[in-house]
Amino acid sequence: MNTDIRYEKAKRRIRGLIWSRQSQKVKQLVMGRNLSDGLLAKLVIYILLSIVAYLYLQPLLYMISTMLKNISDLLDPTVKWIPRQITWENLSKAFDGLQYPEALRNTAAIALSCSIVQVFICAMTGYALARLAVPFKGVITGLIILTFLIPPEVIVIPLYVIFSRLGLLNSMFVFLIPAVFGQGLKGALFILIFRQFFHAQPISLEEAAKLDGASVFRLFFRIMLPLARSACLVVFLFSFIWYWNMYYEPSMFLAKGFTPLSIRLDNLDNVLNPSLLGHTADSPGTANPVTEATKMAAAFLIILPPILVFMFLQRWFVTGIERTGIVE
Amino acid sequence: MNKVQSHKKQALLHSSKRYGTGMLFMLPWMIGFCVFVAIPIGWSMFMSLHKVAVVPGGFKYTWLGMQNYRDAFLKDNVFPIELITYFEQMLLMIPIIVIFALLISLLLNQRFPGRFLYRALFFLPVIFATGQVLSELFTQGAGDIPFLDQYNLEPMVKEYVGGEFATTVMDVLSRVVLILWYSGVQILIFIAGFQTVSPSNYEAVRIDGASPWDSFWKITLPASLPFISLNVLYTIIDLFTFPLNPVLKHIKDNMFKVDTGYGYASALAWIYFAFIFVLIAVVMWLFSRSMKSRGGQR
Repeated sequence: MNTDIRYEKAKRRIRGLIWSRQSQKVKQLVMGRNLSDGLLAKLVIYILLSIVAYLYLQPLLYMISTMLKNISDLLDPTVKWIPRQITWENLSKAFDGLQYPEALRNTAAIALSCSIVQVFICAMTGYALARLAVPFKGVITGLIILTFLIPPEVIVIPLYVIFSRLGLLNSMFVFLIPAVFGQGLKGALFILIFRQFFHAQPISLEEAAKLDGASVFRLFFRIMLPLARSACLVVFLFSFIWYWNMYYEPSMFLAKGFTPLSIRLDNLDNVLNPSLLGHTADSPGTANPVTEATKMAAAFLIILPPILVFMFLQRWFVTGIERTGIVE
Repeated sequence: MNKVQSHKKQALLHSSKRYGTGMLFMLPWMIGFCVFVAIPIGWSMFMSLHKVAVVPGGFKYTWLGMQNYRDAFLKDNVFPIELITYFEQMLLMIPIIVIFALLISLLLNQRFPGRFLYRALFFLPVIFATGQVLSELFTQGAGDIPFLDQYNLEPMVKEYVGGEFATTVMDVLSRVVLILWYSGVQILIFIAGFQTVSPSNYEAVRIDGASPWDSFWKITLPASLPFISLNVLYTIIDLFTFPLNPVLKHIKDNMFKVDTGYGYASALAWIYFAFIFVLIAVVMWLFSRSMKSRGGQR
């Protein structure tokens, strides 16, 4: 009798032990040892990120769905996301309205040439600031930050006059020449990125190359620049995308003829229905749904190339930005 | 005499040897700075002190002194109000953007399957956020959030916040999606910043029994302080040159008005710049102080 009770007790205790061990395991599985290991934490991360990702994707999806609707679907409020019938008419209209091939060529010429030039010039300037002896280095760094701070609106008129004196207006050189001289779009940010990057490189590498008799130029182009490949890629992508999307500067400097896509998107209303000239500019909220679809198609055509470039390069982009290690 | 000259020559030779290559590397930037930044800045300041009229063959300047600046506050009944409203909104938006970017980048920095896909998705705003495309989308209403009307938040906000500030809060709330879109670059900078923290630090505090919560406050946050300051700076500049910014629109409108013209518009732009400059100076001072006190502890 006594042994039976004792046996039961021991059994229960062992069961409890096993249970607690198991629950601990479950707890560890759910809560995790690290913040990110547990199932619960993972679930929360997934949910939060998915919500934000949805918000990011939503305009893109809206754009694509509106673009593919025909007129009856556009006017029908019951058709929200998925059009009843897919039409390519808007796309072809936008293609013509933007004069896509020509505008694409203009935009690509500006964005490609300027961003490639910017990579080299900003790398050179950043390298000089990081490693070479330059008088008044602190003052120069301050001035670089100043150029980042000054809004383009403040100096646009003098710039316009300077560009017109130099005869650069209405050609791609209006962007290429400043880029050659280190004053491209957000060039200051890129100089700072390169400066931080070159700071982080081990100095012994340069010493070794110098001992072997390499000149500074050889050293820079053969060793430092290839080492900074990831930083170059980051700068190139940022620069490319910002040049591609820029609106204010071309609206000032590229008034006629040679216009990039972003300006043509703005003019699209007037191109589509010339009778409304002047009306639509003041009341963007009351845009009629038919032109809206065409505009969405045009917007899609504009962002398609950078998305493709981004998709192609983003593998290196992600690791690249992590390796730059921008440390103040 | 001869000796002094040779000394000078040597000193010159020495300094040219020392600074030569550095200057050569800096040369393009320096030329660019002089031509495309220094001259326009000086010119624009000069114009802001004049009444500028466009005449055939150039500009006609009439000296006004500080008149343009005085007019901006005393005569113009749009500019001061817009400036102050926009500043209120910015002051609210900057912390929201930076904190949001910090949270998202913290989440993206965790290890979980599919992280790669999510990261790719979170770089989307970098592509769109600068463009005309985005403002086009927002004028079409793609960026509206339904919950504001659905749950009738406005009276609630009015009740808790009260008065004049409530409209600012509502304005910011109605732009939540825009805020999310403008935090793409910040998220990227934060993720880059987290990579500079060595994982052994986290391991060490975990062995010492710190919870993830502690390790965030004691390691992650202090280590990312420079990036927070960089992001605050970037956010201010980004909002400053925001395409839907009412102040810049006002400046642009004034530029092409006959009775006000370039001079007045430059004066407005300089006032605007001065406000932002003060804001940036205060922010940088606060951060440098907190970083210094941290550096002292180490």
